[in-house]
Amino acid sequence: MKRPLPFLALLSVLLIGCSASPSGARIVYGLTLAPSGIDPHVNASSELGIPLTSVYDTLVYQDPETGDFVPGLAERWEVSDDGLAYTFYLRRGVTFHDGTSFNAEAVRFNLARITSPDLASQKARFMLGPYERMEVVDEYTVRIHLSEPFAPFLDALSQVYLGMASPTAVEQWGDAYQLIQVGTGPFIFAEYVPGDHLLLRRNPDYAWGPPAYQHETAQLEEVEFRFFTDPATRSPALETGEADVMGEVPPQDSARLEGSADFRVEAVPIPGVSLMVFMNTARPPLDDIRVRQALLYGTDRQAIISTVFRDTSPVAYGPLAAVTFGYEPAVQETYPYDPVQAAALLDEAGWSDTDDDGIRDQDGESLALELYLMGWGYMPEVGQLLAAQWAELGVGVEARVVSYPEALEVAGEGRHHLIPFNLSGSDPDILRKFFHSQAGFNWARVDDAEMDAWLETAAGASERSKRAGLYSQVQLRVMDQALVIPIRDYVNLNGVSNRVQGLRFDAQGWFPWLIDVTLETR
Amino acid sequence: MIARYAGRRLAQAVFVLWLAATLAFVAMQLTPGDPAQALLAASGATPEEVAERRAQLGLDDPPLVQYARYLLDLVQGDLGKSWLHGRAVGQMILEQLPPTAELAIAATAVGVLLGLALGVLAALRRGTWLDTVATMVAVLGLSTPTYWSGILAILLFSLRLGRLPATGEGDLRHLVLPALVLGFALSGSIARLVRARVVEVMGEPFVLAARARGLSSSRVILVHVLRSALAPALAVVALQFGFLLGGAVVTESVFARRGLGKLALEAITWRDLPVVRGVVVLGALAYVLVNLAADLAQAWLDPRLREGVS
Repeated sequence: MKRPLPFLALLSVLLIGCSASPSGARIVYGLTLAPSGIDPHVNASSELGIPLTSVYDTLVYQDPETGDFVPGLAERWEVSDDGLAYTFYLRRGVTFHDGTSFNAEAVRFNLARITSPDLASQKARFMLGPYERMEVVDEYTVRIHLSEPFAPFLDALSQVYLGMASPTAVEQWGDAYQLIQVGTGPFIFAEYVPGDHLLLRRNPDYAWGPPAYQHETAQLEEVEFRFFTDPATRSPALETGEADVMGEVPPQDSARLEGSADFRVEAVPIPGVSLMVFMNTARPPLDDIRVRQALLYGTDRQAIISTVFRDTSPVAYGPLAAVTFGYEPAVQETYPYDPVQAAALLDEAGWSDTDDDGIRDQDGESLALELYLMGWGYMPEVGQLLAAQWAELGVGVEARVVSYPEALEVAGEGRHHLIPFNLSGSDPDILRKFFHSQAGFNWARVDDAEMDAWLETAAGASERSKRAGLYSQVQLRVMDQALVIPIRDYVNLNGVSNRVQGLRFDAQGWFPWLIDVTLETR
Repeated sequence: MIARYAGRRLAQAVFVLWLAATLAFVAMQLTPGDPAQALLAASGATPEEVAERRAQLGLDDPPLVQYARYLLDLVQGDLGKSWLHGRAVGQMILEQLPPTAELAIAATAVGVLLGLALGVLAALRRGTWLDTVATMVAVLGLSTPTYWSGILAILLFSLRLGRLPATGEGDLRHLVLPALVLGFALSGSIARLVRARVVEVMGEPFVLAARARGLSSSRVILVHVLRSALAPALAVVALQFGFLLGGAVVTESVFARRGLGKLALEAITWRDLPVVRGVVVLGALAYVLVNLAADLAQAWLDPRLREGVS
């Protein structure tokens, strides 16, 4: 690629004006996990996407403001009427950081890599859904064939996990490619010392960003990522200048940062499935809808939000986070905090405290529920408050903290009464992972043929309005059947130094568009 | 003679490695949770795809077949790839080794210095209140678990006095507290042995002779007594190497340090068997090598030990 002409460079400086970064500007960006494996085609963590979204381009992008899909490495695309074939017309003149040209063959290589069993992909492969095969139509046209219509396909293609890697580099480095990472994005992957730091350097040749990017090339020279796995160290690192941006600041530190003149907190709501407690409808006494409704009425969500999340997260009323496409606001009316109603429902269901031990019982069985908690995402704290609130209703809780694999086993076998979980994702098809009768996360043990049909139809429907209507029905049914106790919408609290401007996040809410970040000199 | 002795010790070393690998395998078999499910559940993989991955990882095979494959890879020197990270286990361990080695070395230095000081002090002032205090400190170090002393140290030095960083890593200041905590634990057993040895040496004819020659008391202690006390201290370090590794795992966790301990914990949580195997076997190997070297050196120095063993 040719370097931009000097007068263009000058013009851009004039246009951007005072917010222009000094040359050589660099920031330190704090990550919360130190993932060892960071290849987006292989690994699944959200943390890897924070740096690598700026290293890889995707075929399409999603505009975070409108939710529309906009051109990326594909200039335009067509979807066949049956929704089974996607034809992408690729941009010309795009080169990978190692000089390799981007073309249809590169797309073929990437899809072959992702779907190869040898790669053992943990996420990218499954985001492709009913992917069947692809054909190279000509040097700059590819056609992807699906075995059934799959509405979230463009959403999947817009994420870094399906970003385009340099075929030359992948072949050259083999297993070592994990620490190399060559894409076409606005930043070049310069160095990665696992557990210590990861360095990105500006790609001066970048000229093919999506229209949603505000700048032609990156405004920073370097971005260094460092790892702050202990939540307690995050705000201090920001305050001592060790980091300029910090993800997932603990809620209790948020007010202090907000109160400072040098920092701000950018709270980014994450779309997907809210943090909610699944109620096992197949296991007594939760097979009785009145008991499930009693727990919903008897939960003071606002108190949990205030205590655990310091009012930094919105209260969740339904299974979808409010910022997710297809969110149904009517869920907000479903279960207001009403302990009197909760007690009445438990009485009606035949649970009363006959032996005066503070816990309701029926036929000699006391109303004790097994609550399984994973040790992260403030789930233990939430569980503690739930147990305290329900104790006042005369409901006993036995809480156990388990690892993620053990939680999957326990809930998969239905040995739980209650288990909280949340998952991020911008397409409402995420509901199918939780409320379809055959779903892996069907932890409510629901078996509703009508809801299955809605979810399946919505996954294959192309019209947005039709999908929204179906997801609205699903959300209302979930609450009507009292399958879950929604607690909070997930919010990523980013602590940001006021020197850093223009920090924006993609439609997933997790991944920053670093190209637009500028640094002010003091 | 030495060759036969070395050969026997090598066979013992292989046995220890096998035992460690086997115990790790059995422990992982008994831990609940399916690794394939944990890796793929949130990605939208269908149950069939999860089953496929399970088969690919060899988790469908009978435990004995899995165990045989597990050992066979090991014998061929193949540590395999992490299921979670998709990276070579050997590479991952090499990356995490430096911070753990740094901690182990610093803790050993603290342990030896503190142990020598306490032991010599107690021995020279035998029967006085100083002896009692030094012995008590040694017993305290010996019996306090590092997760407890670690939290106490954070409370005192970081939160109360605000002098040292509580967690994380970076410059040497980050190393001070973890090294002190782990070194303190190590110093207990060193101090006790050193005390006994010094008491013994003080009554030896060569010390009496040195004194009789009119050497100053500090010179006698420095040259004759300390030198003979150093030997048991080093023997303890070799014996306590396993304790040091285990203590490092706990200490890393308390002080939020990176290292092999962190790696092992994550691998156990995710049931990432190849990484667990790698860390356990390399830990056992290091332990075996350190002790083998110490024993061979001692056997070479002191023929009596050789006779005793064979």
